[in-house]
Order: sequence, then C-alpha cells, then structure tokens
Amino acid sequence: MKKFLSHFEQRSGFEIALAVFALAYLLVFAGLPLLYNIMLSFQQVDLMEPATLLRPFAGLANYRDIFSRPEVHQVLINTLLFVGLSLTFQVIIGFLLAVLFAQDFPLASFMRGLFLAGWIMPGLVVGVIWKLLFAGDFGVLNHLLMTSGLMHERIFWLSDPGYSLYAVIIANVWLGVPFNMLLLSVGLAAIPGDLYEAAELDGANAFQRFFGITLPMMKATLGAVISLGAIMTMQQFDLIAALTQGGPANSSQVAQYWSWQLSFQTFEVSAGSAVATLMLVLVLIIAVFYVRSTRSERMV
Amino acid sequence: MNRIEIEHLYKAYGPVEILKDINIAVPEGQFVALIGPSGCGKSTLLRTIAGLEQITGGTLKIDGNVVNKTPPRKRDVAMVFQSYALYPHMNIEKNMSYSLRLKRSAPQVIKDSINSVAQTLGLTHLLERMPRQLSGGQRQRVAMGRAIVRNPKVFLFDEPLSNLDAALRVHMRSEIRKLHNRLGATSVYVTHDQVEAMTMADHVVVLRAGQVEQQGKPINLYDQPANKFVAGFIGSPAMNFIEGRIGADGHSVLFGANHVLDLGRELPVGQNVWLGMRPEHLQLEGNGQILRCRVDNVESTGSMTFIEVQPEGGKDTPMLITHGGKAAVVTGDKVNLFIDTANLHLFDRETEKAI
Repeated sequence: MKKFLSHFEQRSGFEIALAVFALAYLLVFAGLPLLYNIMLSFQQVDLMEPATLLRPFAGLANYRDIFSRPEVHQVLINTLLFVGLSLTFQVIIGFLLAVLFAQDFPLASFMRGLFLAGWIMPGLVVGVIWKLLFAGDFGVLNHLLMTSGLMHERIFWLSDPGYSLYAVIIANVWLGVPFNMLLLSVGLAAIPGDLYEAAELDGANAFQRFFGITLPMMKATLGAVISLGAIMTMQQFDLIAALTQGGPANSSQVAQYWSWQLSFQTFEVSAGSAVATLMLVLVLIIAVFYVRSTRSERMV
Repeated sequence: MNRIEIEHLYKAYGPVEILKDINIAVPEGQFVALIGPSGCGKSTLLRTIAGLEQITGGTLKIDGNVVNKTPPRKRDVAMVFQSYALYPHMNIEKNMSYSLRLKRSAPQVIKDSINSVAQTLGLTHLLERMPRQLSGGQRQRVAMGRAIVRNPKVFLFDEPLSNLDAALRVHMRSEIRKLHNRLGATSVYVTHDQVEAMTMADHVVVLRAGQVEQQGKPINLYDQPANKFVAGFIGSPAMNFIEGRIGADGHSVLFGANHVLDLGRELPVGQNVWLGMRPEHLQLEGNGQILRCRVDNVESTGSMTFIEVQPEGGKDTPMLITHGGKAAVVTGDKVNLFIDTANLHLFDRETEKAI
C-alpha cells in the first residue's frame, strides 16, 4: 500500500486529476453497469418494480434456467462457429493482405487505404449493404453465382437456416479484415529489413523466410490481434441485428444477440444478464492473453 | 585465380548513377577494403556483390562464373551487417546454425561446426543465450560466427565495427585480421575509417561519388596518392594542402609570402599546383629545406604533439605538424620547419591529379 501511494507523491496535481477523470469515467460508465449486470444475474427481477436495487436473491437459478432452454445448444455451437470462423478467416485474409501490401508495387499504399473504407463504416450500414448482396431473389451474390455457372439454384442466404449463420460470418469477416490487416501491417513494418537480407544470404527462399523470420517475429502481434479480434467478434451486434436478428428459428443466434433479445425483447432480464455475465468471464480470460502478448511485444 | 572479378560495373537507380565503371579483381584469400566518404557507393558495391542489389551494367564474376542475375542465396557469400542482423527470436546456436539447417546438414555436422567456430570466437558459453542478452561486442562476434560456420566463397563486411566503442573497435580490428590470417577467406570489407582499411587490408579501393579514385596496396596509396582526394583521405591526421605555383626555373615551387622549396625534379613551368605535405613529414629538427613558421597552437597527447603553424608572412595557410613525444614550443614561437622534399606531393590545381 505504501508503495502504491508513493506513486502519487511524485506526481503533480494535474497528472492526478487526469488519472482521476479517466478512472471516474471508467467506473461510472463501465464499472457500475458491469457490476449491476452481474448483480441482476443472481436476482429475481420483477419488471413491475424496475427501480429497486435489492431484489430477492436467486442463486444460480438464472444460470440453470438458461442452460435448460432448448435453444442453448444451438446458441453455444453458433457462437463457437461465429467467433472461430470469423477469427480464422479475418486473421488469415488480413495477414495475407498485410504481406501483399508490404511489397513494393505501384499504388500499394493507396490500395491499402481503400481497404480501410470497410472499417470506418458502422456495422449497421455494412449489414444493410450485405443484406442487399445476400438477397435471395435479386441479390448480387446469387446473380454472380448463377451467371458464372457455379450454382444452378438460388440460395436464400438469410432465410435458409442452413446458410444464415454463414452469411453473417461472411459479412463479419469482410468487416473485420481491414482491422486485422492494419494491425498486422504495423507488425510487419517493425521487422528490420536486414533480417530478411541476412536470411536470404543464409540460403532461405521466400517460403523459408516467411516461416523462419516473418511468422516467429509476428508471434506477439498475432497474439494481440487474435485476442482483440475475439473480443470484438463476441461484441458484434449491429451486423446481426441488420442481417438476420438471430433467425430464422435461432439458426444464426449467437450469445451476445441472445442476451439482448432475452433482456430487451422478451424482458427476461435475469436470464439475459446471466448470458451477459458468462460472456464477460470469457472476455476477461481473453483479455489476460491480450495483455500478456502486448507485454511480450514490448520485450522484443 | 581471382575469386571476385568486377568488370565495368554500373549501378543506377533510375537516372541516378550510383556506381560508374567499377573494375576490381580480388584474388583468392585476399582481404580487400572498400573505403570512401558517406554516399560514395561503397556499401552499394558490397551489396551488388552479395546480390542484394541488381547491377545495371558490366559483369560480376565469382569463381569465374557470371553471377549478374544469380539470387543471393545461390552465390555462396556470407555477409556481416553493420547492425549484425541477428535473428532476435533464435538463440546464438540457432542463429549460427540457420544456414546449415536450411541446407539440411546432418545434426552431428552442425553441432561439430558450431562448437568449433564458437570455440574460435570464444562464444561457447553464450550458445544458449538470446541476442538481446548479449553486449555489442559479443553480437558482433556472433555475426562473424554465423558467417564463418557457412564456410562461404566470400566474406562481406559492411562497416562491422562502427557500432562498437573505440577501444573495442581497435581490439576487434586485430581480431578480424588474425582470423583472416588463420582462415584465409576471401574478404571484402567496407569502412569509412581509413585506419581500419590501412591496417587490415591487403588491397584498398578508394571510392568517391561512385567511381574508383585509386586502388592498390595500402602503403602505395599512402606513398603515391594518384590525386588530391586520395592524398587527403588516406593518412591521419590528413595531409596539409597549400596553393602554389611552379617557378620559372622549372624545379621549384613558390607559395605564400615568397617561400620557395626546391623539389629537384623537372616540373612544368608556371603550373598552378596544390602542395601536399603530410604532418609526419614536417620536422622541427633534422635535415631538409627550411621553412620559417610561427606556432599558432600546440596540443599535446603525451605520446604525440600536434602543432599548428603558419608559414611566415602567410595568413590563411595553417599547417599541422605531428611531433613524436613532447615538443618544447609554445604558441607564438618562431620555428624552423625542416622539409624533406622527397616526401612532398604536387597536384594539378585544375584536375587535382598528382604531378
């Protein structure tokens, strides 16, 4: 405690004021809602009395409730697929693009800039655009697949339970690729060029240089990008709201959207809070990985 | 037999010519130094030999084979970088064995050669460490070890000592030369430090603005510089230059306020010249022709005294003298400077070529 306080003794009032402001902001707008959410998940919520703070304690009843629901298996599998597939393709495509744009060719930086256009668009707008692309009767995607001869029948991307989740994943991958590319580009640029020259003189071909130099040197950056991407994917909400709203028949339902639906559409606040709390625990675990990989990034 | 042959080599970036008509032959086992001021193209020349830069004209041969278009990894050359370029994610052993592992050498062969090279360079106790745990001198040694392990046709050094402190630099200088004497590997060494070039190399190439100004044995460059640039670049402290003119008698040079030195050889009458005198060839006592001077400044290092003088009657023609040991002169003294005219150099004022 003494050591902790001594940190403050060396600081000026201005520095402390800045820190206090940031901490207060975090506490009010992130800390309290989180605590309140955790509290709700252990309480019996009566919507007739929304203004009370202390409600009957429910123990783990809310958690037992959500795991006993028939859709829970599908939601769990969907969430796993949504996060896993989105991350895998975002990172792989983002990495390939980062490597591509790290090469020296005309308009490389201009084209890299274009890719960022997708990133600055709100998820809701992206969702609407992809809805048009995916549309069954007049969608661009179906038109391309049919005229190129790859498909003979229309796919109802958003209303066919067999496709809806993958449609959302495709749109989410598109949305996340620029972010991955940008962060990985920074990591690539930080690798000194003479390492590649040394490796080339040591007899490494392009393939061996990638696996011998680039990949191991990118380990810390990849760790950070993957954990950050996982957190952001678990927060992806507006895209789903715009595309499928979890349907049809929960075929594209994922945990974060389910939590919102439970709390604010069917008003089962306790169950929604329980799902949100479970997500919070997951995010915290990933955040630990993130902090650890950014720390080792600094060590190199 | 020549290990490296460079014939009429040109290198241009767009319209800018970096290297112009370079001709150098490096016999097997020779230690060649490329030297010149920053931006003269010496590092670029080294990188063209490595294959890291493509040449735009002429031929480059290694072991008699033209390698103009050969990628670096097929040239069998090793390079020690200025930054060392050690792989940060590999320990020292892995750093040194990377090339052998790429070649899929037998594990026992790799182990044996790493151990023997590590012993030669005194790295045995560091093999398990990571590069970031090593000091500058140790990293430098690892970079050399990584090159030696490969047993390449040619060693290339790109200012390898410039990141070390002065004392370590002098030490590593002799280490590298001793290593070369032992291994007999053909080496090309880039440096901007003429002392390094003079002390280490068998053959020195002086470059300026992408062209070879002069090449030859270090002592020949010192004794017979081909032009004013080489004369000023080789030797430390640098040669003194004074503007002068050849007298009507055709064998003496006039300069400053009616000073005359008789060179005792046939010279073009009336020619404007630069008179070049090395500080170590100007004596406060001894034999030779006498020049009256005023002492402007005296700096003593104990083992050596640097004296700045001005020929009598002159104003802006300071000359530096190095005097072994201590000198009994102080600022303001009038002294006789003894000049051995055999060590005088004359350069055409226009072309700056030696006369």
